[in-house]
Amino acid sequence: MRIGRLGLGALALSLASAAFPAWSQTKIDFFFPVPVEGKLAREMTRLVKLYNESQKEVEVVASYTGSYDDTKLKAQAAAKAGKPPSVVLMSANFNVDLKLSGDIISLEPMLKADETTREDFLKDFWPALHANATVDGELYGVPFHNSTPLLYYNVEHFKEAGLDPSKPPRTWAEMVDAAKKLTKGDRSGFMMPAGYDYLGWLMEALSLSNGGRYFNEDYGGEVYYDQPSMLGAARFVEDLIFKHKVMPQGVTEAGGVSTAFFAGKASMVLLSTGSLSFIRENMKTPYDVAFVPKNVRNAVPIGGASLVMFAGQNEESRKAGWKFIKWLSSTDTLGGWSRFTGYFAPRKSAYDKPEMKEFIAKNPDAKVALDQLPYAKPWFATYQTVAVRKALEDEIQALMNGKKKAAEAVKDAQKKADELMRPYAETTSLKLP
Amino acid sequence: MRRKHLPAALLAALLSAVAFLWASPFLWTLIASFRPESAGSAGMASLWPDFAPTLLNFRNALDSGSFGLYYANTLIVVVGVLAVQCVTVSLAGYAFARLRFPGRDVLFYAFLLQLMLVPPALIVPNLSTVVDLHLYDTLPGVMAPYFASAFGTFLMRQTFLALPRDFEEAAAIDGAPWWAIVWYVLLPMAKPGLIAFAIVSVTAHWNEFLWPLMVISSPDNQTLTIGLAAFTRGAEGGKEWGVLAAGTLLVMAPLAVAFVAFQRRFVDSFVFSGVKG
Repeated sequence: MRIGRLGLGALALSLASAAFPAWSQTKIDFFFPVPVEGKLAREMTRLVKLYNESQKEVEVVASYTGSYDDTKLKAQAAAKAGKPPSVVLMSANFNVDLKLSGDIISLEPMLKADETTREDFLKDFWPALHANATVDGELYGVPFHNSTPLLYYNVEHFKEAGLDPSKPPRTWAEMVDAAKKLTKGDRSGFMMPAGYDYLGWLMEALSLSNGGRYFNEDYGGEVYYDQPSMLGAARFVEDLIFKHKVMPQGVTEAGGVSTAFFAGKASMVLLSTGSLSFIRENMKTPYDVAFVPKNVRNAVPIGGASLVMFAGQNEESRKAGWKFIKWLSSTDTLGGWSRFTGYFAPRKSAYDKPEMKEFIAKNPDAKVALDQLPYAKPWFATYQTVAVRKALEDEIQALMNGKKKAAEAVKDAQKKADELMRPYAETTSLKLP
Repeated sequence: MRRKHLPAALLAALLSAVAFLWASPFLWTLIASFRPESAGSAGMASLWPDFAPTLLNFRNALDSGSFGLYYANTLIVVVGVLAVQCVTVSLAGYAFARLRFPGRDVLFYAFLLQLMLVPPALIVPNLSTVVDLHLYDTLPGVMAPYFASAFGTFLMRQTFLALPRDFEEAAAIDGAPWWAIVWYVLLPMAKPGLIAFAIVSVTAHWNEFLWPLMVISSPDNQTLTIGLAAFTRGAEGGKEWGVLAAGTLLVMAPLAVAFVAFQRRFVDSFVFSGVKG
């Protein structure tokens, strides 16, 4: 009997020590997608290891969770099953949707505990990023890496076609003109990725350049698909394929577009600034980059990812998660990640560091991406962001395949998007006294 | 005689053409994985092998994750699922084929309804169960939902139904209990059915991506498909075709080798049904 009780006590003790391996240490889950290529997963794992070794209070378990969409799915499913991750690197435009579904928490209490304000905290981040970091006036995401679309062009093709490579096209008219001269045989003057996610982002770039807004930045239940700015953008794409014949018909994914660019089968391409490192490493012939051409004004959407915190974790885990976020979004970490990936660093102070100045001096293409930042606008984010984005993408893809005309495509996209956002509108703007 | 030969040659040519079409993605993967610097050279889409093959792509692929660990984890999942499934599907198949109890057929059809559910619809409920069982982020958690298989039960029931009852009756007369009949009489005759099911099960779980991604969080428990996703799920960057092809080959190689090695057995199992002579 005595032995039995002793054994039980020992068992309880060993169980307790198994549950709390180190009393002071908090273990938290961190989910991250790898938006560019495999080696970034290793770099992220290295960063997390560095953090774990740098202090003793928090142990971060980092898991690679697939694409942006997979990461959202996994984080939400885990949260529903009662295992919410502490910190997630999430596509920057999912914040509205995740806030409305109650999955992510406001970071305002953490700011308060740090005795700082949102304004002070965001001061060092580029102004264009503030909108996607906040929802309804509260901080929900801390920008980690960001991008904008960029025009990449083949310098040799420009010379060969009698164009001046130091004067890339600045307007849609100049771009069409150049693309016509560049198109030759099986070489296309212009190409853009048209897979899901990328296409919506680039259509936002075109409609913004056309003076439009794409969506209502202040209210999650409204998009402007059937307005002149988007109609013009859609017709522009249609004309590039069918009237000017400078872009191949059909839908090409991003991988296909960059490969065509490397192979000299496309002279100008629209790709993310996040591809800069990849293109720099793989392009064999001289290339240069330029702003996205404008029709009405220079404007591009922000892309990239922010760090968010999930609901349902305890106080201790929240504190540990916030501590990790602050480390991950520090000037030095962001600067190093930016140089490694090609994304731009969301903190202005990262560019004051000598190693960054040296990097920019050596890579003038990174400077162009940075110069375009003042023209950046928030990334499309609404209720049911992904579905609402697909409503437009499906129609534009049909247009690129020659199955629909621009006017019809944007009208149908608007109708579909309105239906999708209807439940939200019913409970907000259409809920009347 | 002559008239017969011509169509045969034509048929062979036609079959080769179809086989080539069918095999070209695999051929391309094989060639691209040995091609140096295939990220975007003009020849990256070519089926013509490079004259200076390189192993660099394989090294890069292997460097990007702990493949040894991924192989081990995948193997554990696949073998574990199959081992439990063999027990559950043969017992359930036997019950549905041979035992008489009220509501048997209704129960069987209800069981089959499972096949109509799309797996993603079950992610959240299954994940909750896995968490409740304290299996979250463990390999048994990845396996658990597959321990019972509607498809396997159906296949084994059909296999058992096709067997003549004489053998069992002979054993029963000799006084064999039901489990001895299943183990010594029915299962040896149902082997082709079990092997056919094993192939389907192994390939399905080897290639599965979404469910392991949902259950597993620690890098130590990740499976091959998640490791492979590191190359293929890039959104904004370009594709490193060579590394991608090498990674794909690494993931599929064990299954491909196993299939080639046991090809005769596999084909026989699918063709063979009922009892031999």
